[in-house]
Amino acid sequence: MTSNPPTSNLTISKTDDSSTLDVSVGPQHPGSGHVRLLMRVDGDYIVSIDPEIGYVHRGCEKIAEYRNYVSNIPHLERPCIIDAIHLNWAYVLPVEELQRITVPPRGRYIATIAAEMNRIMSHLYWLAINAGVFSGHTTIFMWAFGDRDLFIELAEWLTGARLTYSFLPPGGPRRDLPSGFETKLTKLLNYFEKRLVEYDRIFFSNPLVIARAKGVGVLKREDAIKLGVTGPVLRGSGVEYDVRKIEPYGAYADLNFKIPTFQEGDSYARFLVRFEEMKQSISIIRQALEKIPKGPIARKAPLVAPEGEAVGRVESSRGEYTVMVMGDNSDKPYRVKIMNGSFRNLIALPYLIRNVHVADMPIIYGSLDYWPVEADR
Amino acid sequence: MNQEITREETIINKTKSNFPDFVKDAKIDRHLRLTITFDKDHLLEIAKWMREELGLDHLKGVAGIDFPTHKKLEVLYFLGSFSKPELQNLIVTLKAELPRDNPSIASAVSIWQSAHFHERETFEMFGVKFEGHPDLRKLLTLDNWEGPPPMLKDIKFPEIGQR
Repeated sequence: MTSNPPTSNLTISKTDDSSTLDVSVGPQHPGSGHVRLLMRVDGDYIVSIDPEIGYVHRGCEKIAEYRNYVSNIPHLERPCIIDAIHLNWAYVLPVEELQRITVPPRGRYIATIAAEMNRIMSHLYWLAINAGVFSGHTTIFMWAFGDRDLFIELAEWLTGARLTYSFLPPGGPRRDLPSGFETKLTKLLNYFEKRLVEYDRIFFSNPLVIARAKGVGVLKREDAIKLGVTGPVLRGSGVEYDVRKIEPYGAYADLNFKIPTFQEGDSYARFLVRFEEMKQSISIIRQALEKIPKGPIARKAPLVAPEGEAVGRVESSRGEYTVMVMGDNSDKPYRVKIMNGSFRNLIALPYLIRNVHVADMPIIYGSLDYWPVEADR
Repeated sequence: MNQEITREETIINKTKSNFPDFVKDAKIDRHLRLTITFDKDHLLEIAKWMREELGLDHLKGVAGIDFPTHKKLEVLYFLGSFSKPELQNLIVTLKAELPRDNPSIASAVSIWQSAHFHERETFEMFGVKFEGHPDLRKLLTLDNWEGPPPMLKDIKFPEIGQR
């Protein structure tokens, strides 16, 4: 897969071929974050696309080498603040492995509940912006954002922050469930389950949405495997792959849930994967609230990690989030390597956005749920 | 549990017996995690075998690690599998040591397409040249960044903190 290096910084510039033009989309927020998509267009068709990323690169991995293990938690969850629990958890799992500490069962259940709430919030954000606004559907934007705030309020009650929770230091979560939390959360889930039926009616079964998304940006199963995409993008192409099932962490081994997969591989299939995942998250939280054991929530963790490497992974809202942490007997990591869903799915952009209409570009881009800050780190 | 450990040992033994000359070290880090250190000149042979014979068809990422005191760089390839359900829970790390000045290794893009952006990142951050990469240019840093590769250990950023 070769791409076109940008030849100029102009919004529209000529190319060697007189029938094509280079059109720059972004880097000023084209809808979801700062990324520049350099499209080579022939009339209304996109011939090829070169994603130019790095506009929000902050050197997270370098900064992590300068901070101690605990100060790294707020720092390393920043790349994707709408999915903070998963980023936090993916970093803490290898640290806990190096320090040889285990989280008590109640702590693992609380982390699981928080993570699934976070998945719903992240998918609602996607539904509002990347699916709703990008397809010109303003009603679902208002609905999903409004309902997302109800979850945010509960998350704030549990963790003390609306988005950047820093909830899981090594050893276990910072706080126990507040009294009355379970009742409130159950009530919210009952409400949200009814709302999902209305979401289906107004958005997912809407003939206009289907007309715009169905058959657009098809990623076949073999290609998805070859390109190495992950998360809902991979599952939308029919590969049943979810870290929660294959290598259960937290409390997922005790809970019963399905991995929604669709064979079509088009933008609409990726929409439906996330829709079905929200339903599964509701069921996971309900089971976790029912089965949550009593006992301590966290263990004391040392501030230093011994020499060695550990690789941990979680299933974040944007796919498998793998983190390698290398310790060197000090209180700071020697190296932290983040392999996240957005950066891995980036390769699907130039692959899918070609030989399509310019008007299909936002739908395909939105269906990938690409989060530029997470990819740039 | 016992059965799964055997599976990890099988992979280690197979790798060792197939490449007795190139594989320097192959060990089980823990349940589900393997590290295989190999000679850097033979990346493509091992990578091809890993994908086609073992079924490790997914490259999760390419990482560099700098060891200035040992005058070496390590390049790590994190492998997994999508299409073989029985291998999905494994993470196999392929590790190669490169000299610190003028590091280069073959590009794995022909084996795993997903290496495309991962190798561009490692090229930019550690200065590792991936021979045969179709489009090896800067990815994340600013256009006007003219310093040495920023992730090397001797590049310090005192404004961030001390190490």
